[in-house]
Amino acid sequence: MQELHWGLPVIGYLFLAGVGAGAYTVSSSILLRGGGGGFRGDHFNIARYGALLAPLPLILGTGMIIFELGTFQAALAQGDIGLFFRWINLFLTMNLSPMSIGSWILAVCIIASVIYAYTFLAEGSAPDDDNTKLRRGLAWVGVPLGISVAVYTGVLLGAMPARPFWNSPVLALLFLISSLSTGVAGILLMRALFGKHDKAPGDVAVGSGESESRATYLLASSDVLLIGLEILTIVLFILFAQLTIGNVSQAVSVILPGGDLSTLFWGGVVVVGLLIPVLVELRFVIPTLLDHQPYSMPRGVEMAVCAVILLGGFMLRYVVVVAGQMTGPMGI
Amino acid sequence: MKATTSTISRRELVGKFGKGATLAAVAAVVPAEAKSAVTQGPVHYAMVIDARKCTGCHACSVACKAEFEVPLGVHRSWVEYVEKGTYPNVSRSFLPRLCNQCSEPQCVTVCPTGATYVRKEDGIIVVDPDICIGCKYCMHACPYDARFINPTTGTVDKCDFCQHRVSKGLEPSCVNTCQGRARVFGDLNDPNSEVAKLVATEPVTVLRQEMGTKPNVFYIGADHADENDLRVPGQYVRVDTHRPVLERR
Repeated sequence: MQELHWGLPVIGYLFLAGVGAGAYTVSSSILLRGGGGGFRGDHFNIARYGALLAPLPLILGTGMIIFELGTFQAALAQGDIGLFFRWINLFLTMNLSPMSIGSWILAVCIIASVIYAYTFLAEGSAPDDDNTKLRRGLAWVGVPLGISVAVYTGVLLGAMPARPFWNSPVLALLFLISSLSTGVAGILLMRALFGKHDKAPGDVAVGSGESESRATYLLASSDVLLIGLEILTIVLFILFAQLTIGNVSQAVSVILPGGDLSTLFWGGVVVVGLLIPVLVELRFVIPTLLDHQPYSMPRGVEMAVCAVILLGGFMLRYVVVVAGQMTGPMGI
Repeated sequence: MKATTSTISRRELVGKFGKGATLAAVAAVVPAEAKSAVTQGPVHYAMVIDARKCTGCHACSVACKAEFEVPLGVHRSWVEYVEKGTYPNVSRSFLPRLCNQCSEPQCVTVCPTGATYVRKEDGIIVVDPDICIGCKYCMHACPYDARFINPTTGTVDKCDFCQHRVSKGLEPSCVNTCQGRARVFGDLNDPNSEVAKLVATEPVTVLRQEMGTKPNVFYIGADHADENDLRVPGQYVRVDTHRPVLERR
């Protein structure tokens, strides 16, 4: 068993940054797709959940990762104030290291997402208020920024031949898709938790139940598509690793049947995180898709599905980060 | 102390003939590596370790600990024991390990702060403890597990070929102390240095060549057997790393 240099703070960071980046991207896309408001403001309302959610996991995750820094841990042990803020060095330079590029993109993304959230927070914010121009501008920025943050987390791990499990170009794509999927789940969860009940009498601002349920149908059906793509990406990830000989196929064997992380991966990531939620979502999406019935998922089911998708996203980061550190090159 | 005097005269030699002669020497000795940025410096330090002469006495590990006050539990330099075979066909060999001072160092390309870099003048890879934030990215990137977090500073630390000694014309502490004379240190750019001659004339190998890092620590007679090496099914191989991490990475 190898030493885990990157532990829970990094795993949590990769997950939370993914959720935040995904929520920002999805929220921006929904806002732009609905032309800033959409029919009776339902796109606006869905976008608002995403916008208000996005900065929280981004900031929380970034805060967590500081705990993994060797200098921060030494600072805690010794009470040295200077060492606490050593991470500032990340922003005193810029080079081609994935971590350097990622830190800068992450910093810009956090700032943009905070301002984007603010445009939705202002008193009486509505589809065509004074902040519309700023909001749409930040949404245009948000799509590439969110995707960049999600992709960078995969590139960060994938850059090193000395870590054969991570050294796959598919990993960045896998993290991107997982990030968008957990972002959608985060938005749906926020709506299920804090949204007013559908068809609330006389409440036009929240959107009449029918049109907002159309927007959540859009989200849920995209999530089915994203999870489908995620399963395909995982198949590709394992397939190409298994087809290689040497370091990479040796490394991937820890998540294959008989490997140390096999139960966690197939049970936690694939069954709990992907198959169960996609089947439940399909159960509610298919009648609308095929028979044009009105879409409605019970709030409890929606919460459970979203929670499970988020758990699956965390498990994916957990398995990938741990498996990458358990394995190394063969021979010497 | 013969090797020490040769180090000094080598430096004088470099001074006399200047850059032109050095570049010519680079082209003559290591034409394949002429493209590498490291070899363009005036001096290109390298080490040759003759594993046949190593007795596994750990004097190098101890000298290194003393030289740098390396805290307990972490190592800049260490010796691995490799046991293999089935009785009566068995062998035990020793593999002294340290930072390979690669010419294509991945630890340097992933460092987000520029704290770890290649010294232009001699190709040694160093970590600046005043810049390093301890993100451990380089520890993942290193295929040799040569890097660690120094618990007293919280920053990454590793072997630096005793840069404070070699820049004064001395040998690294591990070379100085090696009782079997298994370690030879010197300038690869100088065709008359012992390392350049050994690399040119002996069948030297490097560790994990397939990683493409172009290490500057060469081995003669090293046993590259590894527990994960499944080329000979059923063959008993045990590696004792003499470190808290019991497995090689």
